[in-house]
Amino acid sequence: MGGYGDVQLLRDDGKRLDGRALDELRPVTVEAGVLPAADGSARVTHGLNVAVVAVYGPMEAHPRKIQRQDRAVIDVRYNMAPFSTSDRIRPGFNRRSREISKVTAEALESVVLVERFPRSKIRVEIEILAAEAGTRCVGITAAAVALADAGIPMRDLIVGVASGKIEDTVVLDLDKAEDNYGQADLPVGILPNTGEVAFLQMDGDLSPDEFNLAMEYNFKAAGEIHDIMVEALQRRYEGGEA
Amino acid sequence: MVDLVPTLLRQELSRLADADQRLDGRSRWGSRDVTLETDCLYNAEGSAKVTIGGTIVYAGVKFELRTPWPDRPAQGSLMCGAELRPVAGRKYEPGPPSPQSIELGRVVDRGIRESGCIDMAELCIVPGEKVWGVMIDLHVLSDQGNIFDACGLAAIAALRTAVVPAERFDVGEDHTLSVNGTPIMASFTRVGGRYVLDASEEEELGGDERIHITLGDKGHLHSLQKGLKGVFTPAEFAEIFEVAQTRCVELRKLVAEQEAN
Repeated sequence: MGGYGDVQLLRDDGKRLDGRALDELRPVTVEAGVLPAADGSARVTHGLNVAVVAVYGPMEAHPRKIQRQDRAVIDVRYNMAPFSTSDRIRPGFNRRSREISKVTAEALESVVLVERFPRSKIRVEIEILAAEAGTRCVGITAAAVALADAGIPMRDLIVGVASGKIEDTVVLDLDKAEDNYGQADLPVGILPNTGEVAFLQMDGDLSPDEFNLAMEYNFKAAGEIHDIMVEALQRRYEGGEA
Repeated sequence: MVDLVPTLLRQELSRLADADQRLDGRSRWGSRDVTLETDCLYNAEGSAKVTIGGTIVYAGVKFELRTPWPDRPAQGSLMCGAELRPVAGRKYEPGPPSPQSIELGRVVDRGIRESGCIDMAELCIVPGEKVWGVMIDLHVLSDQGNIFDACGLAAIAALRTAVVPAERFDVGEDHTLSVNGTPIMASFTRVGGRYVLDASEEEELGGDERIHITLGDKGHLHSLQKGLKGVFTPAEFAEIFEVAQTRCVELRKLVAEQEAN
């Protein structure tokens, strides 16, 4: 986390700088089936974040050494476009994107019914086009919708969401200023139907009570985002309202 | 991954060419629908999204402060790069920039640079010390054919909406980047033995060489490129050059309409 304390992030009326309540999400929109070349795809906007995900497969896994006899491997690439941040990012993988790709792949492997597709590979390409804090969560949400759009069976639609701490107060869904000047960030990937957690990271400083409250916020928000994801898939496949 | 070109596809394309037809029913010089959206990326200083049929491309413009090249102390710089990441299609794989993506970025770069639409001297802040570097990044999200034209259009449209973020770098007030001209690319692919405009993914798969022509506002040539294996005759070039003139005028109009909105 960035610097502490010297930047005011909560208003005198107890709300946040952008007017949100402590447990309020930024606006979320979800659209399924946005990339004609992909087998499944989705676009998710979350606040000013924009993530687009393409799913390819299941396909033959090569090189052969990555094949698993009893299940599919999930190959995730999380990538920030060079123009997605305030300062341009040099194209290509860096340590941060490699780590996020790895833990995201492991989260998705816990959700996709990988044992249905032995020896195959499912490619999940997460492209962040605009970043405003919380991109790994937006990527996970978009990946879940894209996998569903590709017709790949899953135990649940995994939802990426984060809570954190600003000015010693637990809040849901940090924006950029709150992320830069806050005290903690707790991004998770939640399976709303089963109540399980498949993705977990955290940095900063949280007391056990603060952690419990942050998780409570995350579970509540995951339910809200899950509804939006389901609606998007219904719009695409049922051609009507939810 | 090696493209497996079905012999049947080549035969079919050849048969269609003899009857002056195309797979999707277009005429030889017909284009798929082209859409252009600008100012669509929140962190980019200029941005554009272009779709041509099922092809989707984004361009984002970023600025950075840098020291000028020693031989051009009073000039800024322009760089256009393209990424063909695995998101764009089944055939793309992760790894260092492929020769295809480097070619794509450089062909678009030349068209813009050589048209002279950006005055490099205007990008100078303190001669010998501080100049603007303008970076155009092209991001292909879905390749269903003719990514060159999509990238060329996205790049110039994004550039024309760019705002120089001088305040953020503490070197004056934000101002729009001055861009004098709208260079436009038109690409042709040999399919079934003859050239067609705006080849689809299947036509590229079963086709041969391609030619990219970038024209400025006055119809002058600013960049040419022949890609892939194949040869052409001057008569063939004369024919597509004429089509390119019309095509570029149409796409330039699309940019102007978008700006007027």
